[in-house]
Order: sequence, then structure tokens, then C-alpha cells
Amino acid sequence: MRLAIMFNYLYNHFQAFIRGSQRVASNINASLMMFIVIGITLCLPCAGLLLIENAGQISHNIEHEAEISIFLKKKVDKDQIDFINLALKKSSLVKKIHFEAKLIAWDKLQAKLNLQPIGSGISENPLPDAFFVSLNTLNSVQIKEMIQNLKIIEGIDNIVIDGSWIKKLRSILYLIKLSIGFLGALLIIVLIVVIGNTVRLQTLTYKDEIEVSKLIGATNNFIQRPFMYTGLIYGLGGGLITVGILKLITVTFNKVGDRLENILGTLVTLKGLPIEYNAFIIMGAMFIGWLASYIAARNSIKKFEVNK
Amino acid sequence: MINFEQVFKRYPGNLDALQNINLKIISGELIFVTGSSGAGKSTLLKIISSVEKPTSGSIFFENQNLTQIKNKDIPFLRRRFGMIFQDHKLLYDRNCFENVTLPLSINSMTKHDSSRRVRAALDKVGLLKKEKMMPISLSGGEQQRLAIARAIVSRPSILIADEPTANLDREYADEIMNIFFSFQQVGVTVIISTHELPSSPIKYNHFHLNGGHLDASSDYVQLPL
Repeated sequence: MRLAIMFNYLYNHFQAFIRGSQRVASNINASLMMFIVIGITLCLPCAGLLLIENAGQISHNIEHEAEISIFLKKKVDKDQIDFINLALKKSSLVKKIHFEAKLIAWDKLQAKLNLQPIGSGISENPLPDAFFVSLNTLNSVQIKEMIQNLKIIEGIDNIVIDGSWIKKLRSILYLIKLSIGFLGALLIIVLIVVIGNTVRLQTLTYKDEIEVSKLIGATNNFIQRPFMYTGLIYGLGGGLITVGILKLITVTFNKVGDRLENILGTLVTLKGLPIEYNAFIIMGAMFIGWLASYIAARNSIKKFEVNK
Repeated sequence: MINFEQVFKRYPGNLDALQNINLKIISGELIFVTGSSGAGKSTLLKIISSVEKPTSGSIFFENQNLTQIKNKDIPFLRRRFGMIFQDHKLLYDRNCFENVTLPLSINSMTKHDSSRRVRAALDKVGLLKKEKMMPISLSGGEQQRLAIARAIVSRPSILIADEPTANLDREYADEIMNIFFSFQQVGVTVIISTHELPSSPIKYNHFHLNGGHLDASSDYVQLPL
């Protein structure tokens, strides 16, 4: 008995799906327009997401090359420098060590600024010996702990983390992400209104069928179902168009990037969104279509109430 | 089967469509509801089939008080009636077969099971050979017969017809009436609103409405067979 009820219920949905599909197919031009409207509207926040994901990937790569600068005290002997060097080498967080002797650093600075020792008025080298250390971690707790341990070593004057700009970049990316989130939310509302209005107009087209169905005993859910499948199909079509446009953007950008490699001196590539993101976009679009048609059809069908 | 107790129906604008209606319909009866235009015939039928609710009074259908029925239960109640309307209420974008299938698809019947029933209903009203035709290509009488096929396909125990022979010539009207009589003879309760009573020698009950009132002479007028 339960199986029969379940079968009937599923068959009912199958029938509703067929009717919903027929309604989409019977007005194919309007349906294609709806696919395009949904596709392009969703494309705006999704293209932003694509750029953010790529920018995030770049910042992630850069972060792994974050450095700390260790400045030594003015009068540190060679043994102490070797000791610090050894301590750094032993640390598992250190990827690369570069020691800059104060004399070399002074020469470089003078050459860079085109300074003459006499003319500049600086009588002695103001620069200290320094280690520039590349880290292989981003974990701020680990880095802080490492700095604490280094600070107690004799001869170390000051340690500077050269990662603040990464934090700034991350903050900017976060703000952009937030803006895209707001933009996305607004566009979803727009989509719900647009799809809802289309479905509402469809209920007017099928007014006779709705009224007759009500008179012969159809429930509101039964009448509503084909409209909801129509909304679902609109969402599916729109979602596929969004994914297609994003793919087109990626391919086009990468082709142009290839050509500009010689001019820019570096290869700029845009990585497409992962498959789970694409699936999420399509399913999200279907959900929006379903929700919009649910709201619109429910309100419209209630208005055709024959019982007074 | 159906009991009306002091039923009133008032439409906005203080229009009393029905006033103090008390009547009883027994299972298997053929009922004619007569009266001039605006007498309240259609309102009475709409109230029986829960298309409209009375302003006051009680209606009992198989011991269920229809005035207290919840909105969500109304569709299931309507499935127990076969309804035929003066304007047929056919779907003109579907062929005859699809029109008749509609009540069965509402009942979640599979296409395989419903096909036989639909063809039997179309055969009963003499439209089996026109199952693929669109309703617009049928004559007025045929459209009404198609509406009857749709009403009987789910095998209801009550058929309610609101002026089914209006706008039809005598020959078509008699044809339609004979179809109703044949259903009544197999135990279906048939309630028909009409302007004039049939001339055929058939047993029926008659309610006459006059300005929303049920005439005292209405009870159990029976013609000899």
C-alpha cells in the first residue's frame, strides 16, 4: 500500500516534470531568453568569484615566500653570526637564508642612491648585519614563536616580518569578496523577481486549466508542480549558460595572456573554477528558479480560488 | 445522502441567492432543479459541490457537514462529484482524450490504467472515434458529451450538471438527457439544473426555485414510467 502511494506520488511528479518541460518547449524563444537573462545575471558575481579565486591563489603562492628580516647589533663578532646562522638552519620553518654583511649592504645602498661617503655627511656605516630569511609557513602562531626564540639569542637587535602587505592584500580580497557577496544577493533577488514574474504570467496563460483542475478536485500542490519544474528548468538552463560564459572568459583571457607574454615578460593565466564550484552554480541557479516559481505560482494559484 | 438544513447564501451587495433551503437527496435519485434565470439553481449546485460555501445553514453529505470542511479537504471532496457545466469548461489546447484524462491524472493514475477508462468513457458518450480531435472542432452537443465523459471517467457516485442542455437544439438536448438517464439507471445520483423538465417518461424528483426560495410544491414530484 505504502509502495503504491509512493509510486503514485513519484508518477505525479514525473507527470508534472513532463508538463513543465512541455511548457518550456512550447514557448522556446521566451524560454531561451529566460535562460540568457539568468545566465548573464548570475555571471556577474560568478566572474567576480573567478577573479577572486585566482587572486587568492596568487596571494597564497606569494605568502609561502614571506620573509623575516633579522637585524643584528652593531658589534657582533663572526662566531656569533655563525651561531645565529646555525640556529636558523636548524629551524624547520626556514626555507632559505641570505646573510647580508653590513659593508656589502652599505656599498649597495651608496651605489643605489649614488652617494659619496664624504659628500653625504655620513661618516660611518649606519647599516647593521642582517639575515633575510624565507619561511615555508604562514602560520602566524608558529612565526611568532620562532621570533620569540630568536630574540633571546645574543647579538640580535630587531626582527621585522615582511608580510604586512600580504595582510593588506588579503584584506582587500576579503572586502572584494564581501562586495561580490552583496552584489550576488541583490542579483539573486532580481532573478527571483524576474523568474517569479514570468511564472506569474504563465499562470495567467493557464488560467482556464487551473480553474478546471480546481473544479474537478486538483489540489493547489498538484497545480503548482509543473510551474515549479518550469522554474527548475529555467534555473538549469541559466546555470549552464553561466558556467559556459565563465569557461569562455577563462579561455579567451588565457589566449590573450599567451600573446601578451612577450610584452609583459610573464605568463598571466586565469584558472577556471573547480568542478564543484560549477556544480554549485548550476544547483544554485536551479534552486533560485524553483524558489521564484514556488512563490509566484503559489500566490497566483491562490487567487484563482473557486471556493468562496 | 445530501441534506440541506436552513441554507442561506448571500452575495456581496445584499443579493440573497438562496433563502432557507431545506431539502434531501437520496442516493441513486434523478433530481431536476428548475427555476427562471437568477432563481438560484447554479448557486445550489455550486454549494452541493463545495465550489461555494453557504452564508449560513448546514449541508450534510454522507454525514459530513460540508460547511465545516477544511479548505485542504475540498479538492478530495470534489473528486467524488462528476461536474458538468453549461459552458463545458473544456481545455481547448488539448484533444478529447487528454481532456478526459485530466481527472485521472489528478488521481495519479498511470497512463496505462487511465487509457482504458478514458476510452470507455468516450465510448459511452459516442466520441470514441473522435478521441484525437480538438474540442473546438466538435459541435456544441459533442462538446457537452465530452464534458460528460470527463465527469464520469473517475466513476463518481454523484453527477451534477448545471444547465447541460442550454444552447443545444432539441435533438442534442434529448441525446444528452438520455445519457444522464442511463447513468441514473445504474445507480448514480444525478442532479441537473434546467429551465424545463423532460418530456420522457422517467421517474425523477423535482425542486423548483423561485427567487432563492424552494417552492413548497417541489417535493417529490414523480412522473410515471
